[in-house]
Amino acid sequence: MSQEADLINEGLSLMMFGMGFVFVFLTVLVFATSLMSKITLALAPMAPEKATPNARPSVAPVASDPSSDPVLLSVINEAVRQHRARRQ
Amino acid sequence: MDKLMALWTGSGLYNMDAGSLTMIVIGFLLLYLAIRKNFEPLLLVPIGFGGILANIPAAGLAYSAVEQLAHVGSAAQLDQLAAVLGTQFENYKQILDVYYSAPAAVKLTAEQLASDLNYNNGMLYNFYSVAIGSTVAPLLIFMGVGAMTDFGPLLANPRTLFLGAAAQFGIFATVLGAVGMSSLGWMDFSIEQAAAIGIIGGADGPTAIYVSSVLAPELLGAIAVAAYSYMALVPMIQPPIMKALTTEKERAIEMVQLRPVSKLEKIMFPLVLLVLVALLLPDAAPLLGMFCFGNLMRECGVVDRLSDTAQNALINTVTIFLGLSVGSKLVADKFLSTETLGILALGIVAFAIGTAAGVLMAKLMNKLSKTQINPLIGSAGVSAVPMAARVSNKVGLEANPHNFLLMHAMGPNVAGVIGSAVAAGVMIKYVSAIAG
Repeated sequence: MSQEADLINEGLSLMMFGMGFVFVFLTVLVFATSLMSKITLALAPMAPEKATPNARPSVAPVASDPSSDPVLLSVINEAVRQHRARRQ
Repeated sequence: MDKLMALWTGSGLYNMDAGSLTMIVIGFLLLYLAIRKNFEPLLLVPIGFGGILANIPAAGLAYSAVEQLAHVGSAAQLDQLAAVLGTQFENYKQILDVYYSAPAAVKLTAEQLASDLNYNNGMLYNFYSVAIGSTVAPLLIFMGVGAMTDFGPLLANPRTLFLGAAAQFGIFATVLGAVGMSSLGWMDFSIEQAAAIGIIGGADGPTAIYVSSVLAPELLGAIAVAAYSYMALVPMIQPPIMKALTTEKERAIEMVQLRPVSKLEKIMFPLVLLVLVALLLPDAAPLLGMFCFGNLMRECGVVDRLSDTAQNALINTVTIFLGLSVGSKLVADKFLSTETLGILALGIVAFAIGTAAGVLMAKLMNKLSKTQINPLIGSAGVSAVPMAARVSNKVGLEANPHNFLLMHAMGPNVAGVIGSAVAAGVMIKYVSAIAG
C-alpha cells in the first residue's frame, strides 16, 4: 500500500516540478528573446523589407495560374494544333 | 525425406504462432493506414514494414545473438547458456529474464558463448542498436527539424511561448494517469515507464523516441506507434475539444499582423536558447542542442549546403533507419500485452489534455492582457508541427472566413517543440535522480 502511495506521490511531485520548470524556463526564454530582439534592433535597424519574411517552399503560394497566362495558352494551343496536324 | 522434413520444420508456416501472426497482421494494418489513409506515411511505412520483418518466424531479425540462442538453440546449447548464467533451463522466457537482469560481465560471457555457437545479431537488432540504442537517430532528426523550423512567428510574438508551455500539461497529467493506473492495480508501470508514456503528449516523435530509449526501451515500440498514430489523428482529436472550450465570438477574434523579424534576430535566437539550456537544464542539451544547431545552420546563411543536407537527405536517411528500428520493437512477446493497450489509451488522453490546456492558457492570457489572441492558436502548443497549426487555421476559418491564423499558430507550434524538449529534459533529470 505504502509503495503505491509512493508512486502516486512521485507522479504528483514530478508533475509539479516538471510543469513548474517548463514554465520557468519558457518565461525566462520569453524575456531573453524580447531583450535580444530589442538589442539587435537597436544595434542593427532592419533594412527595408525584402518581401521574404518566411518563404518556406511548402507554404509559398503558387506564383501564377498557368491557365490565365495568355502567352502560355497560345503556345499550348499552337503545339496541340501542330501535333494533331502531324497525326493526320 | 529427411531433407524435406528439414525444409518443412524450417519454414515460416511450421514455426508460426498466434503472437507472430497477430503482429504481422498489425504490421499490415499500419501499412494500410499509412498508404491508404495517409497516416504519417514517412514513418508508418518503415515502422509497419519493420514490424512485419521482426515477426517473421524463425528468422529472428529483431533478436540479439543471445536471444536467438535462447529461442532456437538445441538442448545442449541451452544448457551451456544456463550454466553461464548460473541457472537451470526451464523455458526461453525464464532464461531471458535471467539474462536481462544479469550484470554486464555475465551478459558479455553469454554473448561470447552465443558467438562461439555461431549465433549472430539479427539485422533489425543491429539497426536498433546503431540508430536508437545509441540515441543517434532521434537526435539527428531533431537537428533536421531545427533546420526546417522558422522561428519568425515566435520571435514576432514571444508571448506565444506560454502557450507552448501550457500544452505540456498533457505530458505530466498523463504521467499521473499512468502511475494512477499502476496503483489501482490495472497496469504495472514504474515511474520511468510512466514518464516515457507521458511524453506521447508532447506530440513530438523524435522526443518521444529519445525519452523512451533512455528511460524505458522495453516500451519503445508501443510508445512510438501511439505517438505517430495520434499525430496523424490530430485533425480529428483536436477540433471538438477546441470548439467545446471556446465561444463562437472567441474563435472569430482576428489577430494583428505579425511584425517583420530581422535576420540577425533569427540568427541570435538559437544561440540565446542554447545559452539558456546550458545554464538551466543540461539534461535537455542533447535534444535542444541539436535543434539549435540545425536552426543556426538554417539561419546563418553561410552553410546552406549543410542546412540543405540536414533538412533533406540526412533526415530522410535517418528516418528510414529510425522507422525500421522502431519496427524491430514490435516483436510479439514484447508488444502484445495489456500495457500496450494502456499506453494507447493514455496517449490519446495526453493529446486531449495538452490541447485543452493550450486553449485555456490562451483564454487566460486574454484576460490578463489587452492585445487579444485567438484562443484557437493555443491548441497548436502541442508541437505536431505543422499539423496542429493547420488545424487552428482551419477551425478559425470556419468561424470567420477572413481569419488566417496559420502564421500566428506557428508561434505556439514551434514553442511546443521547445516545450516538449524541456519537459523531456526535466523528466530524464528527475526520474534518473529517483532511480539513483
